[in-house]
Order: sequence, then structure tokens, then C-alpha cells
Amino acid sequence: MRFLTLILAALTLWTPARATVRVVTTLTDLADLVGQIGGDRVEVDYIVRGDQNPHFIEVKPSYMMKLKRADLFVMIGMELELWAPQLIDGSRNAQLQVLDLSTAIAEKLEVPTTRVDRSQGDVHRFGNPHYWLDPRNVPAMLEVLLQELIRIAPEDEALFRANRDRYLEELRASVARWESLMKPFAGGKIITFHRSWSYFARWLSLTVVDQVEPKPGIPPSPSHTAALIDLVRTGSIRAIVVEPFYDLSAPERIARETGTTIVRLSTSVGGVDEAVDYRSLMEYNVTTLAGVLRQ
Amino acid sequence: MLYRARLIVLLGLTLCLSPPPGRGQLTLNPDISVISRFLLSTEDGSRLEEGVRQFSQVDFAFQELEIALQGYLNPYARADLFLTLPGPELEGSSLGVEEVYASLLRGLPLDLTARFGKYRAEFGKINRQHPHMWPFITQPLSQEHFLGEEGLNDLGISLSILLPTGDLYTSLTADILRGGSIGEATGIEDTTDGAPLYANSARLMAFFPVGDDADLELGLSGYTGIHDPYERDRFWYANLDFKYKYRPSTYTALTVQGEYLLNWRTASKDREFTPFLNPAGEAERRSITSSGLYLYLDYQFLRIFSVGGRYDWSQAPYSTEDRAEAGTLFFTYFPVEESLGIRLQYQHTRTESPDGRRGVNFIGLQLLFSLGVHKAHPF
Repeated sequence: MRFLTLILAALTLWTPARATVRVVTTLTDLADLVGQIGGDRVEVDYIVRGDQNPHFIEVKPSYMMKLKRADLFVMIGMELELWAPQLIDGSRNAQLQVLDLSTAIAEKLEVPTTRVDRSQGDVHRFGNPHYWLDPRNVPAMLEVLLQELIRIAPEDEALFRANRDRYLEELRASVARWESLMKPFAGGKIITFHRSWSYFARWLSLTVVDQVEPKPGIPPSPSHTAALIDLVRTGSIRAIVVEPFYDLSAPERIARETGTTIVRLSTSVGGVDEAVDYRSLMEYNVTTLAGVLRQ
Repeated sequence: MLYRARLIVLLGLTLCLSPPPGRGQLTLNPDISVISRFLLSTEDGSRLEEGVRQFSQVDFAFQELEIALQGYLNPYARADLFLTLPGPELEGSSLGVEEVYASLLRGLPLDLTARFGKYRAEFGKINRQHPHMWPFITQPLSQEHFLGEEGLNDLGISLSILLPTGDLYTSLTADILRGGSIGEATGIEDTTDGAPLYANSARLMAFFPVGDDADLELGLSGYTGIHDPYERDRFWYANLDFKYKYRPSTYTALTVQGEYLLNWRTASKDREFTPFLNPAGEAERRSITSSGLYLYLDYQFLRIFSVGGRYDWSQAPYSTEDRAEAGTLFFTYFPVEESLGIRLQYQHTRTESPDGRRGVNFIGLQLLFSLGVHKAHPF
């Protein structure tokens, strides 16, 4: 009888171990968002470190190994990660699900309306892909992500939904604070190194006057830098926004000649020490820029 | 005229495949790219026989035009076609197929991948790369001597498997090749009209991340086939390769790469098809062991410049007495990614044979452009 009781007790306590969903994302920001929804039900890894330029990633076998073990590969899309198909092919993972979060974005910026060619630089055919830098896009991104996680692990739907709702509540509070902080600077003019900040600027009603790159992806040229110096002198431009992975030579020349300020903002989690997750990334970007514009 | 007709057909095909303005994202056409290389060069070895060392008049030559069509066939497979018009004669040369193959990427058991067609086989590291991807102008001597100018590029079927080594990427690739590439290296033309002299190659590759910013790839390859179709003599190659790359930022990278190739073969004739004779003047079959290596270092800075050097040492497939050694310095400038490039190279080559020694200096300036899709570079 005692033996039977022990067996029944063991059966009662034993529950089959549920497999976690293995997710690989292209960017660290997406890895954070997946982790916020999935909690301990997901294992998340990423390809591009926050201090790397996501446009230029070498196709390494070690990245393919990450995808080989993954259930889901989450990417920004809109041809930001032109290297992604080679990684997917090299992973040999026939079960891998690929989720392009750009499908969630209703209002894409800078979508070409005429023929695109290389004379325009590295222009993205489907529009500017840096939409994650507008936190108002995050709810739509999380909805697509949530549906995919539920599809893969339907038994965890309640947990995923609760996590998503909790995170969005926290994010909404942060967004309201950030908007309030930046409100006095609406209409402020900035120059950016690359067209990474179009969504960010639209959200905060900033005006991106020009880029340090003469055309997307094209290195700064002396003539364009000279033109920017003239523009800054006459255009009350307050800051030059540069990501951590770009060279500072041309921005420093403009700043030296005009007295404007260079601001190092990060497009991704891990690009600066303060950006340990998506919210702290945006917190860092907004407060740093506000600090410069306030001067 | 023939080449013109072919070019017109090809351009017509390209235009037909090109998406109309504004509809690029809606088409199912393959990716198209065109890469062309030109070379201004001079060397001081052409009059050495007369005892005169003098740089030749700078020649401006067409090196190669490559047209690539690449795309997916279906959810499981893709196909790649590389057409080339080789130099230096632009008018007289004809368009050829450098590679055409289909790759089965997913859906096979054991996560195997397969490839069939005509392709650069997975033998060593540099053999898979097209010349415009090299950081230098000239092919490493050991590759040229043992594999030929076109490298190991043959009709074949390839299978590749990932080995169960945990987080470490380790692959084993094996090829059954028709053997048509061997003549490129040996110079022996098969006129026996016999069955294909099949060859086999294989490569074991392991990839090691070294910290956050560096990676190391190690490879061990083998290649065997019949090099003399008349005597049915066989050769065996073993090749060790490595590539180390340290990339601390988008703007800077240090690459060190090298390969060592070891050749064993039995042969009754040399490369010129002259029978080997023993001291008594009788024909004999010899067992030959020879080798070759190259090692290069390339340092990329400010993203658009790179500078480096290469050392070559190589014996010959049929002789240990024919030796060559070279030192090379190269500088590359890619002003806008890889759409347009300029590469300057100086190479000093010393050759040594029973007939004597000679040293030749070569200076070359390569101009190249790349039109169309720029795929991310594999490691």
C-alpha cells in the first residue's frame, strides 16, 4: 500500500518538461522584446551586437549554427538584413520559421515611388527599415510576435499575453514621459550620419535636415561635408546624431567648424553601456538628445 | 562576330529578366550581377633570355567579364549560373560557363545539402572564391601549379553534412567529379575517348569563434584522380587551410590566410609529356612527392582601403626540382563598397629549374566594377 501511495504521489508531482521555444533574432532589440513576451518559456539569442552596423554583417558559420537549433528567426525585414537569406540557407534547418516584423508596420517611411538604382546609394527598396526606433510601432510588432509564439507554443498563450500586456503598460508610461521630455524641442533640427533616425525624428517632431552620408551607405565626401558646414552655420542645427559604429572624422570636422554638438545615440540594445534593454535604449537616446538640445 | 552575337543574346536575356521600373519587388526573377576586371601591367622578365632586364611597355588588358544569375528554384533549392568572358582578347574570346549548379539546401535527411552541376569544388579555401574576391591580382603559385588557372572547377555531385560537434560548426563535404578539371592542371589532354576519369574531393571544415571580434576557420581537404589517362596513373592531394579574421569594427579588419598543399603521384612522363628515363636511358615510372604553400595578410582600414602581403612557395606536380617563390605586396581601394575598385600589386617571382634561375618583377593595376546585387560576403 505504501508503495502504491509513493507511485501515486510521484505521478502527481511529475509533470512533463515543456520544451522552451528557441528564438534567434537579427537585432538585440528584438531579442529583448521576445524575452519580454516569452519570459522563461523562450531561449533567445541574436546575430548582430548592438555596437555593430546591421547593414554589414559577414556570413559566418557560427551564425548558421544558431539558426540550426532555432524554432523561430525574427528579423526587421525591409532588406535591412540582406545577409539573412544566406544564414537561413546555411542553417540547414527545414523547420525554421522566419518572422519578418516589418509586416506589422502600417506606415513605412521613405518608400521609393520611382525606380531605384545604385546612383541613389544603398537605398532600401521597401522603405526605411529603422522603424523600431519609434516606440509607437512596438505594440504592432509585439502583436505579430505574440501570434507567432502562440502558434508555436499554444499551451503558453496566457503567459505570453500577460507578459505582453504588462510590458506594453510599462512602455506606454515610458513613452508618455519621453514625449513630455522632448516636447519643448519639437521642430528642432538635427543632422544624422545615416537615415537611421527618420522614425525617431517623426515620433518626437524633430526635423532631420540632412545626413553626413551624401547618399545612404556612401561614405562622407569632402564636398558634402563642406556643404553641411554651410548648412549648419545658417540653419540653427543643434546636433549631429551618430551611431557608435560610425567613424567620427566627418562629424567632428563639422562640429569643429560650426560649434554644433555630436551626439552618440544607439540604434540597438548594447550599442552603449546604458542600453541594456529596449526601454533603457530609448531612455538613453531621448534623455541624451534632450540634454544636448537643452543647451 | 560570334562573340558579339552571344553578347547580344545575353544582353537581351538580361534585359528580359530585368524588372521594369518600380516593379522590382514584385518579380520572381533571379538576382543579376555583372563584374568586370581590367589590368594595366608591366613586367621585366620578357627579355631575360637576351640578358636584358627591362620593364615592358604597360599593357592595358581586359581580364574577365563575369555575369551571375542567382536565385531560388523552389523552397528547397536554389541555382547559380556564372558566365564568363575571359581575357585578354576581348574580340576573340568566347563566353563560357564558369559555374552552373543547383543546390538542395533543405529537406534532405540528416540535414544534408547537395549540389550538382559544374562548380568550383570545396577544396581548400581559396578555390571556392572567384578571382575578383581575392585581395590580390595574381593567383597563388601553389594553386596555379597544382590546380591550374581555373582551379578545381568540374562537373560533379556534392554532398555535405554537419557533424554532431555541439555548438561548433563542423562540416564534411564530399564530391564526385567528372575529372575534366585535371587536364587544366596537368596539361595532359585526354585523347583516349574513354569513359570519364572520375575524381573525388572532400573537405573537413571547422569554424571557431575566437572572442567577440575574431574567428578562425580550419580546413583539411583531399583530392584524387587519374592524371595520366594513358597509363592510368593516379595523384593524391592533401591540403591544409586556415583563415583568421579579426574585425574590431566596421572599418577595420585583419585577415591572415594560408594553405599548404601536398602532392603524391606516380608518373611515367613529365608535364611536357616527355617520358622519364633512368640513367641507363630506359623508361621508368617515378613516384613524386611535391608541395606548395601560400600565406597572406590583409589589413583593412577606414573601411575603403586595405593593404597586405603574400608569400608563395611552390614546387611542381611532376618535379621537385622546378620551384618557384614569390613575394607580393598589394593595396586595394574600394571608394564605395565594392561597386568600384582599384588594386595595385607588386610581385617578385623567382623560379628555379634544372635549366637555371630567373627572377621577374611584376607591377599591376587592376580596375574592377560590380553592377547589380551585392551579396554579403561569406567568411
